[in-house]
Amino acid sequence: MLTLLIAIPFLCALAVFLPVSRDFRLKLFFVISLAHALIVASFWSHQPLEEYNGFLVLDSLGLILLSIISFLFLSVSIFMIGYFKHEKRSNRLFTACLLFLLSTMSLVAVSYHFGLLWVAIEATTLFSAPLISFHRNQQSLQATWRYLLICSVGIALALMGTFFLAIAAHDVHTLLLPVLLKGASSLSVNWLKLSIIFFIVGYGCKMGLAPTHSWKPEAYGQATGMVGVLMAGALTQCSFLALLRIAQICNKTGLTEFYSSILIVSGILSLAVPAMFILGEKNIKRAFAYSSIEHMGLLVLGLGLGSVGLFGALFHMINNALAKVIMFLTAGSVAQKYGSTRSDEVTGVIHIYPLTGILLIAAFLAGIGMFPFATFHSELLILNAAIISKHYLLAAIGVICLAFMFIGVGKIVLGVIHGKPKEPLLAKKENIYMNVAIAMAVLLLIGLGLWMPRPLENLLHNAVSLVGAV
Amino acid sequence: MMTSWVDTSCIITVFLSLIILSNYRVTAMIRVFALQSFVLSLLPFFLHASSLSGRDIFIVLVTMILKAALVPYILFWAIRHVSMRSEIKPIIGFGASIILGALVIAGAFWISLSLTLPGKPASDLILPCSLSTVLLGFMIMVTRTRAVTQVLGYLIMENGIFLFAVSLFDVMPVLIEIGILLDIFVAVFIMAIVVNHINEEFEKNMVSVSRSKMGEAF
Repeated sequence: MLTLLIAIPFLCALAVFLPVSRDFRLKLFFVISLAHALIVASFWSHQPLEEYNGFLVLDSLGLILLSIISFLFLSVSIFMIGYFKHEKRSNRLFTACLLFLLSTMSLVAVSYHFGLLWVAIEATTLFSAPLISFHRNQQSLQATWRYLLICSVGIALALMGTFFLAIAAHDVHTLLLPVLLKGASSLSVNWLKLSIIFFIVGYGCKMGLAPTHSWKPEAYGQATGMVGVLMAGALTQCSFLALLRIAQICNKTGLTEFYSSILIVSGILSLAVPAMFILGEKNIKRAFAYSSIEHMGLLVLGLGLGSVGLFGALFHMINNALAKVIMFLTAGSVAQKYGSTRSDEVTGVIHIYPLTGILLIAAFLAGIGMFPFATFHSELLILNAAIISKHYLLAAIGVICLAFMFIGVGKIVLGVIHGKPKEPLLAKKENIYMNVAIAMAVLLLIGLGLWMPRPLENLLHNAVSLVGAV
Repeated sequence: MMTSWVDTSCIITVFLSLIILSNYRVTAMIRVFALQSFVLSLLPFFLHASSLSGRDIFIVLVTMILKAALVPYILFWAIRHVSMRSEIKPIIGFGASIILGALVIAGAFWISLSLTLPGKPASDLILPCSLSTVLLGFMIMVTRTRAVTQVLGYLIMENGIFLFAVSLFDVMPVLIEIGILLDIFVAVFIMAIVVNHINEEFEKNMVSVSRSKMGEAF
């Protein structure tokens, strides 16, 4: 079952290169995403068996990520049907890369071997790069180049980390996660520490943690909204899964303190840096990119704080993904209508497109973590964890940074929504597919904010005990 | 006997990285890189000379084809426009680069003194040489302005990691080993395509951009 989940999108991606019509490609992508979502939904009741001698296993952590990926691709596939009604560019390479991305991201979620995990994460980097330069102009090529280079170096460092881990695991002689956890006492601590540092720098680079975040505003600013969703919601969280896997090992080898102190520092840095840069920003997509750095900071902060913080971080993975769907798809919809997302070129959206205007407000509130959106709860859980563990200064800095984000993002988004309307040039009508895709995520995020379903709560608790934080 | 071959390959690898660092002609750099990959791809032969398995031969062949032949070929394709074949203004000059490079190598040897590999390593030079190659590759990446040269820097980094990895070959299953190599190959392929697009964009805006800036990675 797990093999099919990876193989089918991969084969379909190859099929997209056959001479088929562009509508067929869109439908194919939708059908595959729907099938993927249905299969993943069935995993909630029946856990699939492990495959290839334990190389592919789906545990609670993987299931959280896999469900996120599935939902994100489903909403993007619906959005795409509307988007390509007004977009004249060929969608062949675009759909092919999306399908490759679906396949490799699913592989990330189920891989139980550190080498395989690396291969899968590197593959996601490669297949997402061509997506950024969809509008092939100088700025987007520049963004693609920066993304490709920074992330490749980061990922190369993670490869070194993987090899250092292999040296640390000289006695158990494999990199399979369960074997590593069982033989945790025989791991060489010095090499393990070295590998942890390389892992955090490497995968953190891919997550866009400060100070290796500089590719993020560029890439998200230039990529279309759909790509922004997948990168900010799924791709970055794939790397977070890698950090969670390392946390599993650290908690077994008594390196929790060492690991969490690094995570807390990089988390706080990722909260502070976007707060400094957001106020001068003029582009909605770039502002949302800074907000994404902030959310990644919250994730690692939660992981670093452990227990309640970890629960909050895992919950935040889901909420962050949903919020990113609302934010980047709405930004993409604005970008298509106006040909820009800069606040000095786009104003008065709500007067011409009332629905898009309302969704933009929802995007702002969801991204910033306002009640009743579930992002509010998970952010509160993480800050709460800081207070429980007596890191009062940490909590204070966190709140101040979030306040800065609130002002910064609010200023840009509200400026775009209100003001004197400008006539858009490209598309005149609201598109039903685009709005349905966004509305789905809005309803889901509000729903989670008001009520947490029992299966989800169990899944999160299972995942927390799997990481084994003290 | 074979250990001396391993030592020699390690030292050659570092020297070739230094040559790339001090060169300004991109075609020459790519050739030197191909030679370096070739030397590295032979390493499993020297390491497991006494008990050569089918798996070693397979890895050697795949590495040789991918890294020493296909990757240089793709890079040559990416720079087929004559106008971007030399590195004009590196951020650090060539003379200073060599001195810095020597310092980096010294640093790598010093760091590896404090790291001890478990088990019995085939050669004491593997760890310091791979570290120096990684660092030199990183230096090339950050001090050069041409897109192609930056890709070469990345590849040299990868070669350094490869040198390190061959000594641990038995930990990774062969399929994952191949997966890593393939990933790097695809990475170069995509980078070459982006380099190509960058050139096309510059050609389109030829009027406003001076010719010497072509192929520069922003």
